[in-house]
Amino acid sequence: MKARQAHQESEDHGIDLAPMLDFVLNLLIFFIITTSFIKEAGVTVVRPDATTAEHRESGNILIAIRENGDIWMDRKKVDLRQVNILIERLHIERPDDTAVIVADKNSSAEVLAQVMDAVRSGGIRDVSIAANQPAGG
Amino acid sequence: MRMRRHNSSESHEGSHGIDLAPMLDFVLNLLIFFIITAIFVKEFGLEVNRPTNINSEPDPNAKSIQVQILDTGEIFVDNRLVDMRAVRANVERLKALNPEAPALILADNKAKTGIIMGVVDQIRLGGVYNITFSTGS
Repeated sequence: MKARQAHQESEDHGIDLAPMLDFVLNLLIFFIITTSFIKEAGVTVVRPDATTAEHRESGNILIAIRENGDIWMDRKKVDLRQVNILIERLHIERPDDTAVIVADKNSSAEVLAQVMDAVRSGGIRDVSIAANQPAGG
Repeated sequence: MRMRRHNSSESHEGSHGIDLAPMLDFVLNLLIFFIITAIFVKEFGLEVNRPTNINSEPDPNAKSIQVQILDTGEIFVDNRLVDMRAVRANVERLKALNPEAPALILADNKAKTGIIMGVVDQIRLGGVYNITFSTGS
């Protein structure tokens, strides 16, 4: 009886789980920290090219402007007047958020300016316009 | 040898206070959740200002580098028609005359975003990073 118990115990201890647990916990913490809940625009647009484009680390509210002037936010087509309200709400929820306007190459300057103003009056000061960085640039 | 084995089995018995398996299951589940929901957005963008007071017309006498963009895509730097590729050189020249000057883009409402972003890129290449974007007809 005693011998069997001892034998079983030594078999149970074949793998030490502690290092794996450490590793998994580290991974978990990494993913929790890097997760930022990004509001995707939901449409694809042709971005303009710019060699001096900078990586926007914290740009997590994406607003897309299509060629025909349609504005998309959070996978929904929205009206220009709604942009202000939506941004205000998001700004209250997470005040650190920054906005990136993803405007189509062929969209008009008027819509771009109106959307920028709507975002700014919604409380988000840090607005940038998305651009493609050409390869090798 | 026998002595050591005895010791190790004793220490194993001592570490059996908490069973880590359920915790490990839970942590792994959390980890999988965060891996699945993590989105790594690589957004490249350019930062552009808007006039602080929307109602006020930009002061034409202010010492800023003025770039006008017409609806046809023609670009005027300092009231001279220039090619897109020549914007950088012109901005560099004007910057040499007045190193602190901000740039002001006056775009027609119907100007294309692609051209505006191209001009912004050129101005930035010319060494001026304080760019304000204004529209009108």
